[in-house]
Amino acid sequence: MKLIIFAGTPGSGKTSIIKYVIDELRNKFKICFVKFDCLKTADDEYISKKYKVKSIKKLAQDLCPDHFTALEIPKIIKENQDKDIIILETAGLCLRCSPYVKEGLGINVIDVAAGSPERYGPILTQADIVAVSKGDLISQAEREIFRANILKVNSKAKVIEVNGLTGEGALDIAEYIKSSSELGNKKLTLKQPMPSAVCGYCYGNKILDEESSRKRFLAGKEIKNLIPNLNCGKCGFKSCNEFIRAVLDKRAKKEQCPFIKK
Amino acid sequence: MKNYKVNNLKEIKKITIFPGLNKLGQKEKFEKIEINKGEVVAIVGLTGAGKSQLLYDIEKLAQKDTKSKRKVLVNDKIPNRELRFNPEKKLIASLSQGMNFLTDISVKDFLKLHIQARGKKFKIQIIKEIINEANEISGEPISPEMNLLNLSGGQSRALMVADIANISISPIILIDEIENAGIYKEKAIEALIKEGKIVLIVTHDPSLALNATKRLIIKNGGVDKVLETTLKEKGIASYLSWIEDYNLDIREKIRKGERINEVYLFCEPIKSKRES
Repeated sequence: MKLIIFAGTPGSGKTSIIKYVIDELRNKFKICFVKFDCLKTADDEYISKKYKVKSIKKLAQDLCPDHFTALEIPKIIKENQDKDIIILETAGLCLRCSPYVKEGLGINVIDVAAGSPERYGPILTQADIVAVSKGDLISQAEREIFRANILKVNSKAKVIEVNGLTGEGALDIAEYIKSSSELGNKKLTLKQPMPSAVCGYCYGNKILDEESSRKRFLAGKEIKNLIPNLNCGKCGFKSCNEFIRAVLDKRAKKEQCPFIKK
Repeated sequence: MKNYKVNNLKEIKKITIFPGLNKLGQKEKFEKIEINKGEVVAIVGLTGAGKSQLLYDIEKLAQKDTKSKRKVLVNDKIPNRELRFNPEKKLIASLSQGMNFLTDISVKDFLKLHIQARGKKFKIQIIKEIINEANEISGEPISPEMNLLNLSGGQSRALMVADIANISISPIILIDEIENAGIYKEKAIEALIKEGKIVLIVTHDPSLALNATKRLIIKNGGVDKVLETTLKEKGIASYLSWIEDYNLDIREKIRKGERINEVYLFCEPIKSKRES
């Protein structure tokens, strides 16, 4: 099984290009399409109807959509063992997280008019493939400059021009998907740990496994109960969550917090 | 047949297209289409006829693995995978009516940025040459200090053409409907051919289509006809293009506040209106 993750800001053209990619692959592979979004989406229904592939909708609602994605990936894989390729589309709100998985293929769809690639975080810098969309709106020169700028922040990326209207680039992406590695029985790991928030992953857990996440969360909660959560910065970290994470990672000592309950 | 490995895109001298199937599943009506360096090929057809698919097949050097089942050879050989899928070796640079400049920067600095992005050494002389060439194509002169965003439609288009001709390494240039741009179209095409590019124009513009070496008529998702341009058509093209250039000259005069007192009905050979 292969896990392909498409990430990109809303409106960058993820769904449009995914449609063409699915169309290229669906005759030879068993595909499951998973659409993550925050509040509402109908893309899953559209894709399953038009391309006759299994589609799942996942709405994050009150959770951070990228944390939610990380929480859901193991379940999705477990429930779809009969599939060859899982194509996952993230809600695409955050440039900081982008839950790419080391063992899978991470594709960032980026709008050519979206501004300087240097401003983007892991969503761009950790991607295996960068699919540049909407190139038909700007000059050839700017497309070439944009591409050079992407390579400055992610020199290993394969930069492909895509067009969600004509399907340009879909064949290339399909080729990369075909030659990407299988997940096998390996434990999946995130390429980039997530920022601090409320679950085990927020406390820096990188193993995609409910049990490890829960353990980490409980360990974090224990420390959290001992500190005043003032985000005062006296420990040397910007926030209490960051501090807790550092303690769990053994990069800091509990005693660095001057207010900690003994 | 050995796979063809291209180290330098400049080595591409010829592409050959072999027929695939149209939307009705019938074989396309041609044996093969050969396009050589320096040639201009017009692609015509109704909206939705299948022009984009043909361009896609050329860009991807299709090997019967795209929807159309067409096959494309480079220099009479099957291109290797590297040439087909390495994004560094992008075959087609494109220019269309809908393209705009979006960067807030001066013309000079912009060209410098592009030259550097291509990994070439920056020389002030190249920038001067590009701007001069753009000024030949556009009616209104561009100066190096002008802001890119303030250029008119015609100036933008002219600069894009000169830039593609001189800085981009792609051997094939696709031009998608630039008829309303307010530029000397013939000059624009000349600038591209001069640099040894293959030029594909998607157009319904009579002077452009009839000035091409040949034109491909697309229908029902396939090439329906291949017409080599006849000598008579070339003559008609040059007359039409004279009228258009003349029209553009009058336009510039109006812009400058001059009075228009006469209309020439016949083109004068040799002497170009623009030089006066």
